[in-house]
Amino acid sequence: MSAPLLEVRGLAKRFGSLRALDGVDLTVPHGGLTALIGPNGAGKTTAFGCIAGAQRPSGGSIRFEGIEIAGAAYHRVARLGLVRTYQVVQPFAEMTVLDAVTVGALLRRPRVASARDFAATTIDALGLGAKSATIARSLTIADKKRLELARALATEPRLLLLDEVMAGLTPTECAAAVELLRTIVARGITIVMVEHVMEVLMPLADHVVVLATGRVIFDGSPSDAVNDPGVIEAYLGRP
Amino acid sequence: MTVRAHLIALGIVALTLTALALGYHNAFILNLVFAGLIFAVLGQSWNWISGYAGQISFGHALFFGCGAYASALFAARHGSPWLALPAGAAVAAILALLVGFPCFALRGHYFSIATIAVAAIAEIAATNLAALGKANGFEMPILAPGIATLQFSDKGHYVLVALALFVFAQLATLGLERSRLGFYLRAIRLNQEAAASVGVDARAAKLTTYAACGALAALAGSLYAQQALYVGPEDTLGLPISIAIALVGVVGGLSTVWGPALGALVYVALARYGGALLGGQGHGLDLLLYGGLILVIVSWRPDGLAGIGRSIRRALERREARAAP
Repeated sequence: MSAPLLEVRGLAKRFGSLRALDGVDLTVPHGGLTALIGPNGAGKTTAFGCIAGAQRPSGGSIRFEGIEIAGAAYHRVARLGLVRTYQVVQPFAEMTVLDAVTVGALLRRPRVASARDFAATTIDALGLGAKSATIARSLTIADKKRLELARALATEPRLLLLDEVMAGLTPTECAAAVELLRTIVARGITIVMVEHVMEVLMPLADHVVVLATGRVIFDGSPSDAVNDPGVIEAYLGRP
Repeated sequence: MTVRAHLIALGIVALTLTALALGYHNAFILNLVFAGLIFAVLGQSWNWISGYAGQISFGHALFFGCGAYASALFAARHGSPWLALPAGAAVAAILALLVGFPCFALRGHYFSIATIAVAAIAEIAATNLAALGKANGFEMPILAPGIATLQFSDKGHYVLVALALFVFAQLATLGLERSRLGFYLRAIRLNQEAAASVGVDARAAKLTTYAACGALAALAGSLYAQQALYVGPEDTLGLPISIAIALVGVVGGLSTVWGPALGALVYVALARYGGALLGGQGHGLDLLLYGGLILVIVSWRPDGLAGIGRSIRRALERREARAAP
């Protein structure tokens, strides 16, 4: 396949006179992990919202596996195989972990029994197996994030947009999460992730895109990113 | 409750009522049981869209009336009332799609308001359309009793027919809870955006549910008309009917299999005995009582009688656990 998995051109999102996204170009190849970073307010979460279909972009084109999805309904984009998680976890608070993940699994498996089996396998793979009967509301923040990831993975996506899945985790939990992400990528699922914990990202990412005030200011390898004067300026300001 | 426990409970209820219908000939009691079953079905229909899907309807009389008028029209033209069942159900399902399609694109209370408005329009239309008998409604012709005409000389037979529909509604609800649609409805109720993020088409799920609701309530309406042998706008389409259906759903407990049946039991007892006690026509004062009851339940026990039952069971289990250390 020559076409990239995801190709975003000139993506714009305006809230009144505020340009949250001001012509973002982003290309994600098949496989691997792309990191989307940038200072607070750069537009990372808005970009995720527009790409996944939760928000309607004001302009630009988004092609997923060659199909134009800009402005498509949220659930349709998920059906095509592009699923995001939320920075602020959005659990089905009153459901058990197993039921919540089953909702995701039902996307590709209409029969409840087989969706349940697949959900159980996914939960085990993410180390939540012991908590499958726990009500989502009473999970710890780390487990809620894992549940969010399990629910998204259960839909068998080809592209996963992860919005700060590491935030609020202890260093041990972070290390476990890194291992988890490696296994997901090894299974052939492409990941784009927004993250602030740089020391986590740098060894994990194949490719780094830096957003600042709604524009892409860097696109390249992780080692080049940390030495790029534009990136340093965006994070720390002009000396 | 497990599926097995539900089926056993349903079997016991069905057998008891069958025995009652065949062996007990008090017309007053059998009429009460019939009304209770019809309201249990209507409450279950309401429970699908307002309990499981979380979209509160205040206009369920619309579908009830659909079925009742279909029955009346078919019987008046000497067609078989059996044709009225699918015809009324289909019209109700189409109406549900028409009301739901614009409303389910919106969040909040638009749906509830629209259901009141559409039912009110239907009542006014039925009051004024000559084809629907205007304000007088229809006196239905008395046909030779039997299963072919769905008219019976024995009140017990009406109970049996209503019981069949009730059993169907209960089984359908059990199936719904364990189906993909059931999971999706719960997900939508808890967090619609998160549901959409994993591919749930909330609008399609709500529309499907609402159309099924309409069809079920219409079937109940058709059976009611066959028993009452009179169909009028106020009796089948009026706001008090819609409120009563909502009351049945709320009192028993939202999104539970047995809530509507419990609610129907309470409602029928209140309507027949309370309504008579509150004097004269039973109009007005009894409605105040229902409104008050909805308020009390919603603010004190939103999970209704089924929820109270669950709490009692848990309390007993705890006591047993303490007694046997």
